[in-house]
Amino acid sequence: MKRSMLGIIDATTHLEDLEELTAHRTLAALPIGGRYRLIDFVLSNMVNSGIGSVAIFPKYQYRSLMDHLGSGKNWDLDRKRDGLFFFPASISDSNTNGIGSFNHFAANIDYFHRSKQEYALVANCFTVFNMNFNPVLERHLASGCDITEVTNNGNSLEVYLIKKSKLINLIDSRDATGYTCMKDVVLDINNQLKICEYEYNGYAEKIDSISSYYRVSKDILKSNVWNQLFIKERPIFTKVKDEPPTRYTSTGEVKNSMIANGCFIEGDINNSIISRAVKVGKGSSLKNCIIMQKCTIGENCQLDSVILDKDVIVESGTVMIGTANSPFVVRKGTVQGALMNS
Amino acid sequence: MGKKQCVAMLLAGGKGSRLYSLTKSLAKPAIPFGGKYRIIDFTLSNCSNSGIETVGVLTQYQPLVLNSYIGIGSAWDLDRVNGGVTVLPPYSESSEVKWYTGTASAIYQNQNYLSQYDPEYVLILSGDHIYKMNYEEMLEYHINKQADASISVIQVGWEEASRFGIMNTNKDMDIIEFEEKPQHPKNNLASMGIYIFKWKVLKELLEEDNLNKNSSHDFGKDIIPLLIEQKKKVVAYPFKGYWKDVGTVQSLWEANMDLLDDNSELNISDYNWRIYTVNPNHPPQYISSDAHVRESMVNEGCIISGDLEKSIVFQGVTVGKGTIIRSSVIMPDAKIGNDVYIEKAIVPSDITIPDGMVIKPEKDLDEVVLVTEEMVNEMIS
Repeated sequence: MKRSMLGIIDATTHLEDLEELTAHRTLAALPIGGRYRLIDFVLSNMVNSGIGSVAIFPKYQYRSLMDHLGSGKNWDLDRKRDGLFFFPASISDSNTNGIGSFNHFAANIDYFHRSKQEYALVANCFTVFNMNFNPVLERHLASGCDITEVTNNGNSLEVYLIKKSKLINLIDSRDATGYTCMKDVVLDINNQLKICEYEYNGYAEKIDSISSYYRVSKDILKSNVWNQLFIKERPIFTKVKDEPPTRYTSTGEVKNSMIANGCFIEGDINNSIISRAVKVGKGSSLKNCIIMQKCTIGENCQLDSVILDKDVIVESGTVMIGTANSPFVVRKGTVQGALMNS
Repeated sequence: MGKKQCVAMLLAGGKGSRLYSLTKSLAKPAIPFGGKYRIIDFTLSNCSNSGIETVGVLTQYQPLVLNSYIGIGSAWDLDRVNGGVTVLPPYSESSEVKWYTGTASAIYQNQNYLSQYDPEYVLILSGDHIYKMNYEEMLEYHINKQADASISVIQVGWEEASRFGIMNTNKDMDIIEFEEKPQHPKNNLASMGIYIFKWKVLKELLEEDNLNKNSSHDFGKDIIPLLIEQKKKVVAYPFKGYWKDVGTVQSLWEANMDLLDDNSELNISDYNWRIYTVNPNHPPQYISSDAHVRESMVNEGCIISGDLEKSIVFQGVTVGKGTIIRSSVIMPDAKIGNDVYIEKAIVPSDITIPDGMVIKPEKDLDEVVLVTEEMVNEMIS
């Protein structure tokens, strides 16, 4: 009998270091890679690994996450049996310092009891990777471990595989043990459990700051990273938007860049990631930028090392220069004028 | 099933023989168009955007791709509890399969489908044309004129009028005469093949036509003349806007090139009238440092390392270094090698163009080249 896994995505993570980009939305819903949201990676990995029951546990500002996920149809999780589940936390829940809060799970214990799957894969929402989880399960079964922790270059990826019944025990006994989350269990040297590591040596990067967001986004432009993330047999699924193909005009040069659909390009773009429905005006030059959806950049603008959140309007003639270590971040929906300096 | 005011019947069974190798295993309405779409997406999107949610799609020729493409209609918002899209292939009744022998017989054989909804009006459409149209407005016109049938017409150039079914009208837009491909046209109002009928009236006509052994069971050739003969109220609905039949290699290429024309009337970026399609899953397109993209449209999943000029590139296409593509249409998942030269051509889906191949129109002919596997094999050998 094929052993089965259910997927748990802890989408509660909220980091101060990403404040400008996560003021309006939870980290799991952070736009990345031109057409994705951060959660799409781990969610697609689960689905591609044959997991048909996935529970998302969000906490802050989850409206856009909910809107993005819908019924789960785009990830093939709009099912009659199992499928996608959404369990928001109550704000009064205290933060844990690791993935997989037992309080949060306890509030939704029915999901665990009702699930027929034997094993639970507990993952974070903020890792950019394309990984098949089945080998992890195979190793877990072969080694007889209680918890298998996935690592990358020796560091924990904060993805844990555990027998569902054991997880339920941990949840039920949390007051007695003092463990608040999976990480607590794994870090406690006296934990009476057999903890193993599964080393995944493919590309896997966590987004936990503006600089890692910027660095990972630029990484995606490299073909060796691209080929590890975008695999035909294991595609990254995301919400479908009906945008026409991108239109290139007689002006403007695009080099080494990733461009989503629905864009209208009249200016120069280098080493950048442009999301859908973005307009770039004549004479403008974008270098090393990450432009999120529906931004409009006027004519003769100069942007270098800039991150624009959704719906930003950059008036003609504006100059914005950031640095590789400290990109210039513009909040969602703002208007940047030539005379403004903030 | 609940009663509907108007049900659309979309004729998508045609072979499209003038598209040669493109329609060898693919019905014409399923042919890729515009960098992202299939021809039928325009008619289906028009239905959805017009609020016509009950659509019967009549397939016949090479229906596999088309049937599975349409599915239950979710892509066009036509996956509904009551109505929605239904694929209607020919079926056998008692002893043998009754193929659709003409556009009218196809509707006649699907009366049961229409009876389910007991509609007042039936909208007849084809899946062969590229255009945006609000059918609801045509229906209102039909109702206001208290017509038995309305035929959508478009003004064509006088020099082209002899290629179309021409409607001769009086000043009230009543159709008094219909001429199929007239040598000396009296009018330049061409039939677009879009009809609205009062279902009761159409039903009777179809019965009558079915009994006529000499009939070709075609709307244009048989049903419309019958209507006029019986002095039913038939009106012309004037349509203004872009409308193109893409039944030949030349016209398919031209219509694609029209999308790159700033002055073109066909706007596929209108968010108020989206053209829906089944979206394959691809990452955004990647334009490399070696690429040079000008005046072109490129879809998701493409990896471009060469030069594109005035071209339409569909999803999943790769273009190698040193390659130059001009005024061409590259269909989904084609793999173009390095140092290739392609000019004024249509490159079909999934084909691999080897390094160094040159594709361009024959001197003096200037006809669009439709690339085939045979051509590629010839070049390799």
